Amino acid sequence: MSQFFQAWQKRKEALQSKALEQYSVESMESVSDVTLTTNVEENIQLIEAQFGKCDDLVVRRFQTKSKAQAAIVFIDGMVDRNVISDFIIRYMTTPDITYHDPATNELDLTDKLRQIVRNILSGCAVLIIDGCRNAYLNNTRGWDRRSVEEPQTESVVRGPRDGFCETLCVNSALIRFRLKDPNLRVRHMVVGERTQTDIYVMYIDGIAYPPIVEEVIARIESVHVDSVLESGYIEQMIQDRRWSPFPQIQNTERPDKVVANLLEGKVGILVDGTPFGLIAPAVFSQFYQSPEDYYERFYIATLIRFIRIISISIALMLPSLYIAFSAFHPEMIPSRLVIAMAAGRSTVPFPSLVEALFMELAIEILREASVRLPGPIGPTIGIVGALVVGEAAVTAGLVSPVMVIIVAVTTIGSFASPSYSAAIAIRMLRFPVMILAGMFGLYGIMLFLIVILIHLSSLKSFGVPYMSPLSPLNLNGMKDLFIRVPHHLFKTRPMMFHVQDKIRIREEDNPK
Amino acid sequence: MNRREGHGWHQTLSMWQQICLITSTLIGVGVLTLPRTTSSKLFEAGWIAPLIGSAGAFVSLWLIVKLSKRYPGETFIEYSHKVWGSARRPWVGKVFSLPWICTYLVYLYFSTAVVSRVFGEVVVTSVLLQTPLEVILITMFLLVLFLCMHEVEVVARVNELLFPFIILPLLFIAIASFQKAEFGNLLPINHVSMRSTAEGVYEGIYSYSGFEIMFVFFAYANQNTNKELAGFYSLLIAALLYMLIVVAGISVFGYEELQRVTWPTLELVKSTQVPGFILERLESAFLAVWVSAVFTTVANAYYAVVYSLRQLFRKGIRFQRVVAFVLLVPLFFFSRIPQNITEVFKLASLLGLSSLVINLLFPVVYWVAILIRDMVTRREGRNVDG
Repeated sequence: MSQFFQAWQKRKEALQSKALEQYSVESMESVSDVTLTTNVEENIQLIEAQFGKCDDLVVRRFQTKSKAQAAIVFIDGMVDRNVISDFIIRYMTTPDITYHDPATNELDLTDKLRQIVRNILSGCAVLIIDGCRNAYLNNTRGWDRRSVEEPQTESVVRGPRDGFCETLCVNSALIRFRLKDPNLRVRHMVVGERTQTDIYVMYIDGIAYPPIVEEVIARIESVHVDSVLESGYIEQMIQDRRWSPFPQIQNTERPDKVVANLLEGKVGILVDGTPFGLIAPAVFSQFYQSPEDYYERFYIATLIRFIRIISISIALMLPSLYIAFSAFHPEMIPSRLVIAMAAGRSTVPFPSLVEALFMELAIEILREASVRLPGPIGPTIGIVGALVVGEAAVTAGLVSPVMVIIVAVTTIGSFASPSYSAAIAIRMLRFPVMILAGMFGLYGIMLFLIVILIHLSSLKSFGVPYMSPLSPLNLNGMKDLFIRVPHHLFKTRPMMFHVQDKIRIREEDNPK
Repeated sequence: MNRREGHGWHQTLSMWQQICLITSTLIGVGVLTLPRTTSSKLFEAGWIAPLIGSAGAFVSLWLIVKLSKRYPGETFIEYSHKVWGSARRPWVGKVFSLPWICTYLVYLYFSTAVVSRVFGEVVVTSVLLQTPLEVILITMFLLVLFLCMHEVEVVARVNELLFPFIILPLLFIAIASFQKAEFGNLLPINHVSMRSTAEGVYEGIYSYSGFEIMFVFFAYANQNTNKELAGFYSLLIAALLYMLIVVAGISVFGYEELQRVTWPTLELVKSTQVPGFILERLESAFLAVWVSAVFTTVANAYYAVVYSLRQLFRKGIRFQRVVAFVLLVPLFFFSRIPQNITEVFKLASLLGLSSLVINLLFPVVYWVAILIRDMVTRREGRNVDG
């Protein structure tokens, strides 16, 4: 059955990518062979014909100092107007300036219409001069961009406050700024037949394992899709197991995190138009590790890691443990507590599974609503929902007071994971565990945990087992798994990513 | 979109993975009855049985290791052809190896049925009183089926991850129950004869079997690791844990009382009280965690069966998945054949006997065959030389 489904899926994908290629070939084919003429007006007509009736295409005609007709073509809003007026038009028209070319920082000459159209679309100003077959492609890109701000989803107490923004070149500069290593390689790729999204694949030559880098590039190349609006598109299309609930590629808004991961031999992927960069390969420890762990002293970093692990376990299992204990194993709860719990539950008309599902559903609705609500109202709704509705539900006898505590602790626990997309996986898996706990008690919980463990063991991210360094066990990697040893003990990079340059601290450079 | 599976370096089993595989297969439902079975013939000195039993198991495991070293990277299924056949007539090897392979597979197959039945009985009688036995069996089999969908390296990794869930509860129970221990129960020490020692070891033999899955899994061990040492450590870990449990059982209950409880280890758990601990009556929690120990025993053996069949018919992972599913249906009915717990225990001890045969007879016979072959080929070689 699954075989059939896979074949069907493959055929569908093949047809789609074929159609897309066909489209892009058709749309660009008519353009590609055409070259410019020496007549300005003809050339303008050629370019305008490509854009059809497009009102944001600006054509500015003027006369150069040598009395030749010229025109500059660009798209309104994507260019820096000052650059065009001061360094192109003024340079070309003022007789005092003896310099012949426009004074922009990137200048290219071409007579291929296809290349010209591409460049206009990405924010270049194209200068055409009468009698000259080649057009000047000036890099005048400059649109309003969000400034570098503190990342919203991954805030830290101690650590850099800058996060990625939507502009690719700014993001790659944020990484370069921290990693002044000439071995940092950046590969430029374009994905999306219609969106033509720029993608940077970054890695450190000499540290990253070349097969992993090649695999990342090959998988991105094999993505045929009409649009890439966010790095999530790339992430979901190149990860190893597309049906798994667990993220096999890490995403982050923090340049310092990308740099740290590049130094561990991983590959960073930056996508234009989104502040979320990707890091591949990813392993399970992304669920509870934060860059802050390395900035603070190692005692507290280790302690906080354990707290995060506990809170993730709570987020996954606390409601189901409550169900199992109250419905199947009440003998395990201390007798005084069981009396109190029974008293609380005496008015509740549902079995504990229904009670828990009902409350978890309510809290999920609350959570989603408070994310969508405009800024100042969000927290208010949270308080109203949690306090007022919870209190009222207990008073009305719909749920037991213990259940309210459990739901609250579970929700708080799921926020303690530093990675949002990892926490979603835990949040989702909570519901099947609850149902199994309602069916088989603790036995059901254990069954589900084993299922998850089998699945996690079978996962690989670009050839790296997902549960490494725990399984396959790697003692060197254990230094940075649950505990975080002091920095001077990190003498080597983690081995599980098959790093080339293994040494992090050279002994001879550090005389005692 | 075509994609390659990573960059396909071959993952072999590390030494730690081998230890986890062997130990977690050994430790299964046998532990739940071990204090009773060993002390039934050995009385106060029941704790000797695991040590002697494991020593015997090591001899057998050592022979298996030697076999796999002789044919590196090959499973029992693959090298059986070579042991029994000649280079000129390959069909001879295929025909003559078939009875051995079949016996091995049938033994493993039935052992999974018995183990899952025993576990089902424990769960149904002590924790989930209203749940039918069939439901426990089916859920356990579905779990096993899910593992059999994957490749060997996944099995090794799952064992590695579940290993602490198997070791820690046993250690916890053994150590926590020492606060109620009366060590006088262990005395006198040298009281039993050689004959009853042998009988006592035999009674618990079921607990030391399970390492025969390594007939298959040693083929995937990393060639640079010391397999003998892996076998030694894993049996040592198992033996020490068994000994601790038996000592705890005898010293808490005394051997006379032990004979009257069906699941002595579970009784130990029930009597355990940890001061300051939130939860009481830990047997439900213990059995829940114990699912992992039983799962590794059942799943590893069943995986060995399914994987061997896949190799025997030279098929791929799809065949393995189909076979894993198809074979579970009769397994479910086989595991329901015994009418009551006494019959289950009888079957279990029968299985212990056959494990003795498989584990000792098979390696010995194979080695004898290999040695004879070597002698014959050497003589032939001398004849050719003149």
